Amino acid sequence: MSARRHWGLALSSSMLALGLSACNSLPGRPARADYPLRPSAVTNYSELYNENCAGCHGVDGKFGAAFALNNPVYLGIVDDKRLTNIVARGVDGTAMPPFAASAGGALTDEQIAIIVGGMRKQWARDGAAEGAPSYATNGPGDPAQGTKVFATFCASCHGADGKGGAAPGSIVNGSFLALTSDQDLRAIVIAGRPDLGHPDWKDYLAGEPMTAQQVSDVVAWLASKRPAMPRGASYAQRN
Amino acid sequence: MPLRDWTKAIGDWFELRLGLSSTLSEVAAHPVPRSSASWWYVFGSATFVIFIMQIVTGICLATVYTPSAEGAWSSLIYLNYTQPLGWYLRALHGWGSDFMVGLMFVHMAQVYLFGAYKYPRELTWVAGCVLLLCTLGMAFTGQVLRFDQDAYWGLGIGASIVGRFPFVGFKLVHLILGGPIIAAETLSRFFALHVFVIPGILIGFVALHLFLVLKLGINEYPMPGRIVTREHYLQDYERTVTGDGEPFFPFAAQKDMVFAGIIILALLVVAAISGPFGPNGQPDPTIIKTVPRPDFFFLWLFAVFALLPPWSETFLMLVGPPIVIALLFALPFISGTGEKSWRRRPISVVIVILAFTTIGTLTWLGTFSPWSPKMEAWSEAPTPVDYVKGRTPLELQGAILIQSKQCRNCHALGGEGGMRGPALDDVATRLTPDQIVRQIIQGGGNMPAYGKNLSPAEVNAIVAFLNTMHPRSELGARNSVKPEQPISDVDSHHSPAQ
Ligand code: HEC
Ligand code: HEC
Ligand code: HEC
Repeated sequence: MSARRHWGLALSSSMLALGLSACNSLPGRPARADYPLRPSAVTNYSELYNENCAGCHGVDGKFGAAFALNNPVYLGIVDDKRLTNIVARGVDGTAMPPFAASAGGALTDEQIAIIVGGMRKQWARDGAAEGAPSYATNGPGDPAQGTKVFATFCASCHGADGKGGAAPGSIVNGSFLALTSDQDLRAIVIAGRPDLGHPDWKDYLAGEPMTAQQVSDVVAWLASKRPAMPRGASYAQRN
Repeated sequence: MPLRDWTKAIGDWFELRLGLSSTLSEVAAHPVPRSSASWWYVFGSATFVIFIMQIVTGICLATVYTPSAEGAWSSLIYLNYTQPLGWYLRALHGWGSDFMVGLMFVHMAQVYLFGAYKYPRELTWVAGCVLLLCTLGMAFTGQVLRFDQDAYWGLGIGASIVGRFPFVGFKLVHLILGGPIIAAETLSRFFALHVFVIPGILIGFVALHLFLVLKLGINEYPMPGRIVTREHYLQDYERTVTGDGEPFFPFAAQKDMVFAGIIILALLVVAAISGPFGPNGQPDPTIIKTVPRPDFFFLWLFAVFALLPPWSETFLMLVGPPIVIALLFALPFISGTGEKSWRRRPISVVIVILAFTTIGTLTWLGTFSPWSPKMEAWSEAPTPVDYVKGRTPLELQGAILIQSKQCRNCHALGGEGGMRGPALDDVATRLTPDQIVRQIIQGGGNMPAYGKNLSPAEVNAIVAFLNTMHPRSELGARNSVKPEQPISDVDSHHSPAQ
């Protein structure tokens, strides 16, 4: 064989090798990430959160129309069992839907556990809720006491009667209250909404954090403004 | 004996018996009009070359593909992820199909505009029409073989068109699907069609088509004013070819080869960059969460479905396509003689432009998938942050309900969401609160009525939120009877006792 032929052989085989190795990096090659998974086989936290929760609770748990889950105080007072229960069963009478397959939702129990764990990993902070009132109310609140609590802690932003002030709109609006559970009101009062500038339990008054009883009282006061309405009454029936 | 002599001896042995090379060289050297060696005349041969590629890649795919309901999807996954370069094979075959359909339409438009279907080439045109139908049939059956969720779309829509036929509709659907629903039998049926029946017909008609092209000669480049008549055309053509003819090979064929080369290269590159089609989610009726989309060349059909008024659908679906197809076949018998040049046939030019723009526009509309709600928008597409900041608690509840009642699946906010209904970003500039209430309660115009499924509080919240949907600089629409009533009072207007 002549030297020239050797060169040709070497050149063409190296071209071939190059070509073959390039094939693996062609843009059209289906990526592992594109592998079509069954919806029930998705185990990636961000994918699960973004597909199921971001619509209402916001991207990254902030600036959604519903309660901001990216809230270390909130995650500090609520335990995994309660979180799991809310996500799995939803909140009756509100727009929070049940997600567990057993309750008519589209997620497996494993996926719900991944979401709950993921939220904690991403957004919880140790000690953020130290000394905070408990998640569950310990005893019924007193609406009459609540009026005073409101005047002390809330009126500066929500106006003397709660119908609006520095903060936009009324928090005693009947329709708003009809669509919101007491537990959600409690969560707002204790944990606030850092994304929208709502204070949490220790920030309303400098040096005077709200006590558990005060929280229960002000929530009871708000709840007393909720109109008595038959559950499930439809607009059409009423008019 | 040296190697070269051996091969020559073997070649001669066959040549003596078959006489192939003399026939071939005769065919290759047959004279064609000088004017027909034009860049306009390259689309037919390019379509043919892609067809050959489809056969080759198709056979390769058939060695791996399993035509069973369980096996089909996994064999494509195997090709995509396990078999080295299996994905590329699938990409070539899938894109090849798009290329072939596209080239065929261009070829057809060119033949039509250059009057090449006129006397004596009517039969060539008719064979071409059969090829057109077969190629579309291949494209359709091919996407069914993918047997993923998208394939369901194509099939479902096809079956629903066929099912509209009066009296025999149900029987026809049964025949096509191999049962009342899409199932394993459906796949076997489409596999047989895609791999045996239609390709068989295609090869036969390609042969006839090519034979006719050779026999009747390539159409000369039409000259305005040169009229085709049954009496003179053959002699005229003969004279052109003998006087001013050139051998087909290499004179005319070189442009064909250059163009086919470019097309093949383009196909190789597009397939490498864009990759194979699907398969997306496996076909499993227990998976509710699907967003199936039809293949590219059926998008326009879906757009038609979405845009046609419902009462006209059945009529147009059943009567339209047969008329168009009949007209195509009848064309050379309607205008078989006369002027060939498109310069003197303005109506033909208009028809081609109309056909291409209509299909183009419909396809473009189809890519927005306005016909189908976006099933995940309600839990996936966040309320735009600007619509959350500074809103009252009641308005925020309204924003949540727009999600939870799945209005977002049909209505976009901030560009995200379904397109069945109008985007709601500036709905308050169009409708007064009362009109919004009416639309939600009573529905109408393809929107379901929500009256029975919403509580008074929910309606109040939604209306309060939608009422903020106007540009800051612009006021919302007001009720002209009570213009003094400020918009923000809508709440006290409708809400239950506070
Ligand atoms: C359709 C809108 C919507 C979607 C989607 C949604 N939520 Fe909710 N969520 C709400 C509403 C509204 C509330 C407040 C309910 C109430 O009044 O108690 C809520 C409350 C909650 C709460 C309790 C907060 C509190 O007030 O104590 C948690 C935790 C929660 N959601 C988690 C999730 C997770 C995790 C997902 C995704 C799997 C999700 N949500 C999806 C609307 C939604
Ligand atoms: C620093 C001002 C400020 C103070 C003090 C304040 N709020 Fe708010 N509040 C806001 C703002 C701003 C909003 C609107 C954003 C939001 O919804 O979180 C709001 C909203 C609310 C909402 C509606 C939440 C929703 O789901 O839309 C409730 C309920 C509420 N506040 C209760 C209270 C109570 C009870 C107190 C007293 C314990 C209080 N607020 C004190 C600023 C304040
Ligand atoms: C199945 C799809 C669908 C759903 C779900 C849907 N809509 Fe509609 N909506 C439409 C269509 C289509 C129209 C246009 C009706 C027409 O042309 O008359 C429309 C119109 C409207 C309009 C009038 C818009 C305008 O600019 O004229 C409003 C307001 C509206 N919808 C609100 C809602 C709300 C609120 C919900 C949820 C409770 C909802 N829609 C759910 C399809 C839908």
